[in-house]
Amino acid sequence: MDALEGLTVLDFTSHIAGPYCTKLLADMGARVIKVERPGGDVSRSLPPFKDDIPGTERAATYQYLNTNKESVVIDLKSPAAQDLVRRLAGMADLIVTASSPAQEERLGLDYQSLSAAGVPVLSITNFGHSGPYRDYRLSDTVLYAMGAEMYSHGLADREPLKLGGTAALLQGGAMAAVAAMGAIHAYENEGTAEEFEVPLFTVQISNIDRRSSSILGYRFSGRIQERPLGASAGIAGGIYPVADGYIELTASAGNYWRRFVEMVDDDALRDPKWENPMIAADPSAKEEADAIVYPWMLSHTRAEVWEAGRKAHAMVAPLNTGLDIWEDENFRQRGVWSEVDHPELGKLPMLGRPYILEESPWRIRSAAPCLGEHTRAVLAEAGLASAEIQRLTAERVVA
Amino acid sequence: MSDRLPLEGIRICDFTVVWAGQTATMYLADMGAECIKVENPYIWNPMTRAASPRINGMIAQMLPPWIAGHPTDPGPRPWNNSPAFIQVLRNKKSFTVDSRRPEGLAIVQQLIRISDVVAENLALGTLEKIGLTDDTIRALRPDAIILHMPAFGRTGAYVEGRGYGAHIDSVAGSSVLRGYRDSSPGDNTSIFAGDYWGGIHGAFALMAALRHRRRTGKGQVIEMAQVESSMHMFPQAALDAAWNGRAQGSVGNRSVEGFVPNGVFPTNGPNRWIALSCRSETEWRAFVEAMGSPSWATAADLGTREGRAAREDEIEERIAEWTANKDRDDLFHALQAAGVTAGPVLNAKDAAEDPHLAATGTWKRLPATEDYPEVDWLRPAYRFSESNVDLREPPCLFAEHNDYVYREVLGLSDEEIAKLRDAGHIASTFTPEALAGG
Repeated sequence: MDALEGLTVLDFTSHIAGPYCTKLLADMGARVIKVERPGGDVSRSLPPFKDDIPGTERAATYQYLNTNKESVVIDLKSPAAQDLVRRLAGMADLIVTASSPAQEERLGLDYQSLSAAGVPVLSITNFGHSGPYRDYRLSDTVLYAMGAEMYSHGLADREPLKLGGTAALLQGGAMAAVAAMGAIHAYENEGTAEEFEVPLFTVQISNIDRRSSSILGYRFSGRIQERPLGASAGIAGGIYPVADGYIELTASAGNYWRRFVEMVDDDALRDPKWENPMIAADPSAKEEADAIVYPWMLSHTRAEVWEAGRKAHAMVAPLNTGLDIWEDENFRQRGVWSEVDHPELGKLPMLGRPYILEESPWRIRSAAPCLGEHTRAVLAEAGLASAEIQRLTAERVVA
Repeated sequence: MSDRLPLEGIRICDFTVVWAGQTATMYLADMGAECIKVENPYIWNPMTRAASPRINGMIAQMLPPWIAGHPTDPGPRPWNNSPAFIQVLRNKKSFTVDSRRPEGLAIVQQLIRISDVVAENLALGTLEKIGLTDDTIRALRPDAIILHMPAFGRTGAYVEGRGYGAHIDSVAGSSVLRGYRDSSPGDNTSIFAGDYWGGIHGAFALMAALRHRRRTGKGQVIEMAQVESSMHMFPQAALDAAWNGRAQGSVGNRSVEGFVPNGVFPTNGPNRWIALSCRSETEWRAFVEAMGSPSWATAADLGTREGRAAREDEIEERIAEWTANKDRDDLFHALQAAGVTAGPVLNAKDAAEDPHLAATGTWKRLPATEDYPEVDWLRPAYRFSESNVDLREPPCLFAEHNDYVYREVLGLSDEEIAKLRDAGHIASTFTPEALAGG
């Protein structure tokens, strides 16, 4: 049995954060009814596309974020939509929104309107429903700049750097899914219908990737985390070039240093002088070590370094690209990749399970829906007669 | 507000370490689970309560503040005031036991018998070495939910791999995507996005398994290889590889979604930056207007995303010229008021003093202890209308709940407790045998 079987989620979110939240629920067995605006979720129009050809059903972001969901197209700006929202809410055990506070009210997606359904209502917001930034906009980059530790990421003499991809938005969606699971437990155990919001800004302020600790560190010590002058760390450590790319290494004094030396297997590095933690402050010692470490690195491939590192339990790892991950035999065998069968695109590789649950496994039941694929079926299930659905279609309230 | 919490009645026997594991259980503790942290007074788990058990004010000053921003005098118990770790211990309880010795293992087994969840992310095989395998745990507690969060998996070619967040990020494809566009990944400074991601996903998987158990009576084993969950942080790069055969590299601060402009620009004063994104033609027009419609920006070819993409370098230079002499925060508010997505790059002090965070109840002041001063602490990132999901209990200090756990949870007698104290299981301070260990 799927872990979230029997749970119906009414999903008004779009782009990345909200859809990732409901994807986590859908991939564990929840039924997710995704309400899309006419023309579809904006992520349908964003690159990369399958074979680099744009198209409503070809965007990687959309296809990834909406596996196992149903698509119902409703123009929420139409007055006739209010009745549809009410009917769909009646089918749900959880309602998820991700609109600005002003939009919520305009579209009837605010707590007051949705609470009539008597089920938990989650709103994913930029900055929350109050406070001076309440109506401000966020992108992945602005979110990482304000909320996360961008300020100390990068080099001191250059501009601060964001993460790759759209990681900050995805983190917000993942955190919202944790909150949603809490609400689901409270609802199913006690009948408690929570209203709860997950502001993306606050999620990043809570980011354990140094942000939360740099803030508490400031409160404790008055010190501000700055960008470093360079990327290397200690006598050996940081990112090194190797024969076919780069590796990441930690070799701080103690066990990690000894395991690193075992990996490199060079007698000069076995000298006890390297065990003195203060040696890192001596630039000539660093040069001496570099003269051994760099040639060793450059004469090995990433795979060779990692294999030697694993034998020695050294803290070392290759820098993979997406292509490396796609081609990696171990990850393939472990189940990192899955497959979807898409009505227009055919069989497609898809990122597979992020975790293995032996009794209630993560699984793909269906590819991301085509735009409006489930509009008729879901509206019929919500009690609309077929003539009524036809009329709403003709009036462009649904599609 | 209800007195009941979503996970009330759930108990976690918590062996987690570092960030990913300790935050996974923290999210459940926030929701009301009783999270009991098992601490061995003789083993120092690296990067779990502090960077080092011997840190003093001088050493702390030599290390970066995110990891060593202890109070100016860290005092005799730096494991109770590391900014990197103390706050992931909120709402938890700490007790000590040396589980390597038979009578200590018996105590842990007794705790497992009355726990719903056993969570760990120790180096592979650590728990098995003391006799706690999935089978022996389930013999004690048949419906236990067991969460393992190994770095690279419990099976396969990479089981012997060891690493922290930086290494996991590298293998998961994160590190190559986050450097400067014009320099090698060798210039990348460390970040640990995979820890945050891993903790959140570990918590989600646990809560899904708890629902499954409520409905079926069955527990289960969860294996979450941190590297595999982290791959989901970059789906665009993963699918571009699998679908189009392309290995994406870093785009710096540009957008993988094709938004132009999208970047970070200097403002007036040292190290003050503003980030901005134009994600639609409407936002671009609003931005052009906010700049006073300079002639370079009103050129017809810049009216489309493709046209702007073709001249992205030039656009970025022009914007940087325009922002360079503006006040960062004035620009932030002016651009937002004009309908442009923009925001300051906040440092730790800016964030600690941010008016919006203060106004929206992000912090809660906790009284001073012997180990740290009275300061504001983070509450959970979300608030519930009915359940008191909050920073309810201060972070657990080392050994703080020995009395509660031994007496109330495990129900031991005074005599048994005295014996365990004499044998060194119940300790009030950390005395690692090999302080430099790890």
